[in-house]
Formats: sequence, C-alpha cells, structure tokens
Amino acid sequence: MSNDGSPESATRNGARLSVRWARWIFQRMARLALPASLHEEYGEEMRSAFATMAARAWETGGTLGVLRVLVLACMDLVRRAPAERDARRHAAGWPAPERGSAMTTAVRTLVHEARLAARSLAKRPAFTFVAAATLALGIGANVAIFTVVDSVLIRPLPYPRSDELVTIQHHAPGINLPTVENSAGTIELYKRFGRAFQELGAYTVDAQNLTGDIVPVRVQVLHVTPSLLHVLGVRAALGRVFAADDSAAGAPPVAMLTYTAWQSNFGGSRDVVGRRVHLNGVSTEIVGILPEHFVFPQRPKVHLILPLSIDQKDGFGAFGTRVIARLAPGADVAAAQREATALQPRITELFPDVTPDLLKRIGWSASVTSLRDAVVGDARTTLWVVMGAVGFLLLVACASVANLFLVRAEGRTRDVGVRLALGASARDIAAMHLSESLLLATVGGAWGLVVAYVAVHAIVAAGPANLPRLEDVRIDTTVIAFTVLVSVAAGVLFGVLPMRLRLRQPMSGLLSDGRGRTAGRDRQRLRKGMIVAQIALALMLLTGSGMLLRSFIRLRAADPGIEPQDAAAIGVSLGENPALASDPAGRTAEHAKQAIVYQRIMREVGQLPGVRAVGATNALPLDPEAMNGASLRIRSRPQADSAIPRVAMYVGVAGDYLQAIGTRVLRGRALDWSDVDHARPVALVNRTFEHQFLNDNALGEQIRFGDDSTWLTIVGIAEDVHTISIRNDVTPLAYLPITASVHGLHIATMQIVVRTSGEAASVVPTVRNAVRSAYPEVPITSARTMESVVDASMADTSFTVAILTIAAVVSLLLGAIGLYGVIGYVVTQRTREFGIRIALGAAPHAVRRMVLRQGLVLAGIGIVLGLAGAAAVTRSLRSLLYGVTTTDPVSFVVGSVVLVTVAAIAAYLPALRASAVSPSRALSEE
Amino acid sequence: MPPRTRIERFLPLKPAALHILLALAEAPRHGYAIRGVVETRTDGDVRLWPATLYGTIRELKRGGLIEDAPAAAAPGDDSRRRYYQLTALGRQVLAAETERLRRLVRLAQRTYAASQG
Repeated sequence: MSNDGSPESATRNGARLSVRWARWIFQRMARLALPASLHEEYGEEMRSAFATMAARAWETGGTLGVLRVLVLACMDLVRRAPAERDARRHAAGWPAPERGSAMTTAVRTLVHEARLAARSLAKRPAFTFVAAATLALGIGANVAIFTVVDSVLIRPLPYPRSDELVTIQHHAPGINLPTVENSAGTIELYKRFGRAFQELGAYTVDAQNLTGDIVPVRVQVLHVTPSLLHVLGVRAALGRVFAADDSAAGAPPVAMLTYTAWQSNFGGSRDVVGRRVHLNGVSTEIVGILPEHFVFPQRPKVHLILPLSIDQKDGFGAFGTRVIARLAPGADVAAAQREATALQPRITELFPDVTPDLLKRIGWSASVTSLRDAVVGDARTTLWVVMGAVGFLLLVACASVANLFLVRAEGRTRDVGVRLALGASARDIAAMHLSESLLLATVGGAWGLVVAYVAVHAIVAAGPANLPRLEDVRIDTTVIAFTVLVSVAAGVLFGVLPMRLRLRQPMSGLLSDGRGRTAGRDRQRLRKGMIVAQIALALMLLTGSGMLLRSFIRLRAADPGIEPQDAAAIGVSLGENPALASDPAGRTAEHAKQAIVYQRIMREVGQLPGVRAVGATNALPLDPEAMNGASLRIRSRPQADSAIPRVAMYVGVAGDYLQAIGTRVLRGRALDWSDVDHARPVALVNRTFEHQFLNDNALGEQIRFGDDSTWLTIVGIAEDVHTISIRNDVTPLAYLPITASVHGLHIATMQIVVRTSGEAASVVPTVRNAVRSAYPEVPITSARTMESVVDASMADTSFTVAILTIAAVVSLLLGAIGLYGVIGYVVTQRTREFGIRIALGAAPHAVRRMVLRQGLVLAGIGIVLGLAGAAAVTRSLRSLLYGVTTTDPVSFVVGSVVLVTVAAIAAYLPALRASAVSPSRALSEE
Repeated sequence: MPPRTRIERFLPLKPAALHILLALAEAPRHGYAIRGVVETRTDGDVRLWPATLYGTIRELKRGGLIEDAPAAAAPGDDSRRRYYQLTALGRQVLAAETERLRRLVRLAQRTYAASQG
C-alpha cells in the first residue's frame, strides 16, 4: 500500500505485530503440547488458520481480541493434547497410535493434572492474570540479574583450567600506592623462589601506530612474555604463537594479530601470516593470528601482541608489568598467598639496595588473587547486592501470590470438602493445588523470561561502566535452567503454604459452612503473616535503596573540583610519528609542531559563538584510563637511589585549560600559550601535590618525571580536581605545557575542552563541524559534555541505585496491594458486625478508626521486623556508599514513614467502606 | 457395503467430529472454512480451535472417514490449504450417527413427555 504513515497503515502494522506475536506464541505452545507427527502433517495449516482467526479477531476486538483468541486456542491445545496422545483410541477401533502416545502413566497423570489445573485457572482469569504477572515480574527481574551474575561472576573465564589462574599484585600504602603491579624484580622473585606457581606470564599495555600496506591506524598493543600465551593456553588460529626466543635480545621483531584486528584491519586474508607491517616505524613480521573467541583478561580490545622480555637488570622499582600465573598442581590461592607473603623479604637478596627497613617503612606486601576475582573486581559487590534486592522482590511476589491463593481458597473450601467426601485422598487434593501453583509458576516463568530478555538487553545497552565481561552476557541454558528452578521454587513456595493449611482442616468443617470459622481464622492469621513479611521485605529494600539514593545524591553534590555544567570535551587526534619513538630530540620538535596545529584548532574553536574559553588536555579528569603517572624527583629533596621513588600523575595542557574545565589557580600563575610556544620548563601542581611533597610551599621548586626528562619549575598551585573518581582521594597531579620535554607525555590525542555560555550539548556539534571543516584530515575521536564524563564515572552507583529503587517501589506496591486485600477481606467478613455497631449508634469514624488500626498494626509489626532485617542486611552495601553510613538514620526513618503512609492509604480505603455499611443491608444479608 | 460393525465402532462420534463431517457433507472444504461453517450453523455456539480442528481432521482421515479432495482452490486462495471431502465410509458413519441421535432424541422426548404427565 502506498499510504504508509497514515493512521490506517499504522493500524495495520499494529494488527500485523500483535497477530505475529500471537502466532509465534501459539506455534511454540502447539509444538509443546502436540505430538510431532501432527505438526508435520498439519502444522502449517494450523498456524495459518490461527493467524486468520487472530486477524479477524483484531478487526473486531483489537489487541485484546487477539489475546482472547490466543488464550482460547491455547486452552484448546491443552484440552486436546491428551486425546492426541491417547493410546486408548486404538482399542476403540481408531487407527493405531504412534510413538508419542506410548506415554507412561506418570506422564499421563501429569498431563491430566495440568489440564485440570489449567481449567481451574482459566475459570478465574483476573486472578490468574494478576498472579502470573506478579510472578513474571519477580521471576523476570531475578532471571535478568542472574544472567548478568552468571556471565560475570559464575561462568569460568574462557581459558583452560581457568581456576588455576591467579594474578599477583603488591601494596605500598606507606608511599600512597594502594596497589602496584609487578616489576622485573618481583617477577624474578616468584620465578626463582616460588613453588606454588607452575608458570608465570607477564604483560604490559601500550598503543602503537600500525602502518604498512594498510590504512594507518593507532592500535592497542600488549607486550606479552611467550610464557603468558602458554599460561592462558592459547593456540594460534593461523601461523604460530611466540616461542621463547622471540623475546630474546636481538631477535627479529614479530607480532601476532587478534582475530578482530585480522578481520577488520587485514580483511581476514590468510596470507597475512608472514607479511611485514610497521609498528611505530619498526618493520615487524606477523607470525600468527589469535583464535576468534580469545580475549585477554581485562583487555578485550587489544589488536596486536608483541613479545616481551623481562630483564632482572630493569630493577625493582618500575611497576608497570602485570602478571598472570598458573598455580602448580595441588596449590590453591591461599597457599600461593602464603608463599608470596613469605617470599617478600627475599627481595633484599635479589636487590641489595632494597633494605628490610625500607620494605617495612612503605608497608610492602603482596597479594595473590584468583584471576576471576581480579577481572570481576568491584562489580562483585554491586552484583550480589542487586541480586539480593531482586531476590527479596521475588519473595514479596511469592507472598503476594500466596495471598491471592489464600483469598481464592476462601471460595473453594466447599469444593475441596466435596472432593474429600467423594473419596479423594489428601494427596489428590495436594496434587491439585500444587499443580495449579506450578502451572501458574510456569506461566509466570515463561513471561518472566520475556521480561528478562528485554531487561538484559537494556542492561547491556546501558552498559554500566564497571561491569566487566559485558560482552559475555547472554541468556543461555544455565539461565533457562535457573528460570525453571526459580519458577518451580516459587510455585512450591506459594503453593505449599495455603495447601498445608487446608489439609489440617477437619472435613466436616469444610462441608458444613463455606466460611469455615476456625479454619478461616487460621487462614487469616497466615495471610496477615504474609503481609507482615511483605512489609518487612519492602522496608528492607526501601532502606537499602534509600541509602544508595542518598549516596548518589551526595556523589552528585560532591565537588569534583571542576564545573561540568556548560563544558564539553572534543577529542582530536594528530597521531604520532612512529619514527620518533626512540628519538627524544625529534619528538620534542614533533610536539612543538603538533602544538601549533592544536593551537590553530583551538583558536578556530574559540571564535565560535557561545564559546567562552578553550583549553586542551591529554587526559580529562574522572577518566582514569588516560592518566599518566611516573616517579617524581624533587631537586631540593633528593632521595637515595635505594628509596622507593615518589609517584605523581601529570597531564599535558594547553590554552585556558583550567578556566575551561572550571577550576582555578590558588597561587602563582596559570600556564598560557607562551609556555607552550617556548616549551618553557614550567609546571603547575595541585594543592595535594604541594601538601604531600613540598610542605605547602611549592612555588619555585623544581621537579621532574623520570630520570631523562628536564627539570620543571613550579610556577603555580591549582585547586584540587578529582582525577580517578569522586570516591577516591585527590591524587598529587602536575600540569605541564604539552611541549614539555617529559619522556612519557603523549599528545597524539588531545581533549579540547570548551566552556560555553549556554547549553554545552548544543555547542558540541558546532565545535565538531568547525574542526571538521577547517581540518578535514584530523580525526575527531570523541565528543562529550563534561557532565556525561562525570556521569560515566558514577555509572556503577547509578546502576545499583536504579535496580534497587525499582525493586523497592515494586515491592512497596505489592505490599500495599496485599494489605489492601487483607483489610478489604476483613471488612467484608465483618460487614454484619459493622452494621450492628452502626445500628447501635457507633459513629462511622469510630468504625473507620477500628479498621485503620488493624491495618496499621500489621504495618507496624512489619516495619519493626523490616528495620531489624535492614540493619542486618545493609552492611553489605558499605562499599557502595559514599558519605552515608550503613546505619544512616535518615534512610531508616524515611523508609518507615513511606511505608506507614502507604499502609495507611491501603487500609483507609477498606475502612471507608466499613464505615459506609448500611445497617439494614448488612443485617439482611444472611 | 462394509459390515455394520465397522461403522458402529466409530460411534458415538465426538461433537467436533460430528460437526466436521456435517460441514463436509455438502461440499469439500478446507480447514478454516469448516470452522466458519460450523460457527455459522451453530450461531457461534461451537467454535473449533486449531488443535481440536486439525487433531480431529487427522483422526477422521486416519479412520478413513474423510480424504483429501482434489485441489479445487478458488483463485486467490491460500495454496497451503488442503481441501477435505467425505469418503463413502464417512457418509455411512454420518448417517448411522444421525440415526443413532434421532433415536436418542425420540427416546428422550417420549420419556420427558411422559414425566411431564
């Protein structure tokens, strides 16, 4: 049709969509219920007939009509299934049955029970829908989070015998280095003396320019010891892996490509092995391709690996190397940890200038962590907290459904009594109820899987920055098994409680009176217990999410040291001339040339309307990956060679960077273009730097980073800015002109920061276009508002807050509905009593108060239990909190107040009904 | 003519089977059309949902009461649709079932009339 976009075609699309969905579900159900042979013969006709029915239904009843057809057709499936599989037909003269019908009695009974259960549930569609939807929500949330937990925490890392893999790290709190990796010295230590480690692999991280007969690119590079590939159990998909002599001094340069780099940069051509490429200008032979699904732990985005050699001569002090080791047979992480701790003093044997006293002073220690724990890192706490939260949500959902069942049981006591009287055994009755709840749980689980599917995609799309292994997240058989398990557990949980109660009742009571007075009271007590449990769980979630919410607000309110509003950062890359890698003088000249280009770009940007200040940096705050650190020398305070050097971070800046980012100079002066133009040996340091290293008096002092850089004179002190994250303490930081001759200063990619007079987001495209049109050859690597940079640094907290808040709100709602249901039921039961009271002169408000009080007593008990539970549970949140304690009174009080309010509303509605009872009607009712 | 016992072992017919045979008595039809005819004739009281419809069709075919009809597809008809028609046996079974029901109804009416005085 040509009238696309018209309301008519939109309607048609709606029809097509809902019909397609219905057909899909029907097809799945049919495949489940009916024998395969029927499908082969009639499957397609059946589907097409169903689709026609659904389409007709859409015309008259819309989506609801389609839904109705779907439900009826599925019920027909269930009804028909036993007949299709029934062997008795054979005896009746009908054709011989086929293999599908030779079912064991047990299965037939099961189908029979399921059919009865389906019929009974279908009789009360509202009840069934509400119960199944509640379960779907609870199960879906659990399955979604479990999918993430399973992929991130549970599934083993994709290496052979990955449980034997560990990492070794070190700590030196005495010099403000909470965690350092390894140096040639520590590696030598473990290699030479370690018995718990079978083999040690090491790697360092780098980025290099890849040229040759391909499009030049900057690639992520790992330098790996050949042993690392062995430790990780990697084989080459093509060509060979590194051999031990590839890393020997003077060996011809070789490299391996990762599968993705092979595909994307070399078009996956097989003759790439043996080809030569240029890496930072060095001609290198590609000797192999890594397997398709292989990723390095914590380094999923590597393009290329080079052999690394570790030389003890490199000494003890340069901690840039990461270690992955395979444990020796029989050794576990604890044993390896014990051994590593015991080995540390022997460093002094290998390096005589490292004294035991020095190790003691800096608080030196080693820690061995299983590789999986290292990869998962902080995400563990987040995920278990979230899993706990959705677990509570499921409990609340089960309590809700159990309550619904109890309500329903009120209407069915007589039915059960009749069955018992007719000779049904207690087991039959139990089977009946259990099959109903299991069927309901199955339906809830199936919907829950759909909920989970959507939720998992949302989570992966949102990609909380601190979740590792997100590329592994998917719904697989483990998850399906989990869903089945959770559904069955939920079904048993909410099915068994009401059932136990019913079996205890004497049969006469069931038959004599539909209400069953004593039994009714028991049931009421149980229902009230459920409500109390729901309220307690809801309060626990409310309190927890309250604490996280308050942490989040505090984090947001915390001063990052910059003003992210009205600022944006645009990444531009001039690349690096690889030929200059080992030519310091040439590099300095190159940086000077690049500085001129950056300056031109920034001038251009500065003239755009709405731009108030422009600066540039090679590393933005709160973006820890980009930060560079190095050992620091202070001219006036020389250290002995044996001392562990001081460490500080540095960034290269240009233009009005401090102004653009929104911080200020406390004393001295800022850096300006003339410092860059003349490559003046000057630096600005932050307040923490001055305080920590120079007794709050840094002006005029001289510092340098690394031993082969020039001395820089401190000309100004800048206000502190959080560099790693807002949670972390401010670290010592120096700002250098981008032309400063400091060995590790890379300015191939710079972030141009603009401060705008209006909305930053609206200026970003203008800036981008201006750069693109003036310098079409300069690639723009990113364009973000500074607010989004700050947001990204809090992604872990916002993810947890979001999930916990949703869980809390949903369980609050379920709790409120439950309370409303129970109090409402009590009111119905006591209508007569209320009528008499009112007839005898009781004021309506007194009746109202009486009912309200009943609801609030329940809520009160729930709140007391919930507070106790919350106090016990919120401790697990500690590492996620910021500026809020785990006993935060505000969260406890606000959570309780919210619950009391909601409970009061939930109880007030039935109370209103109670006070409006007309005495004459109430009394004439029986 | 097949022996009576061969016909009788199909009786009584299940409601769905009876309705399908009745719908096919006058003309070959495809599955969805059978459903439409049954629904119209019973004023919407009987609706054959897919599982019952095709399950019963298969049963009837296996029993030899109906068979595939030569393609008589009207233009624009879905080619996937198969048409079914009654076999001779099917007609006899339908006749026998109708006779059985007639007797049953007569019995019921007589007895009911007697009880009403």
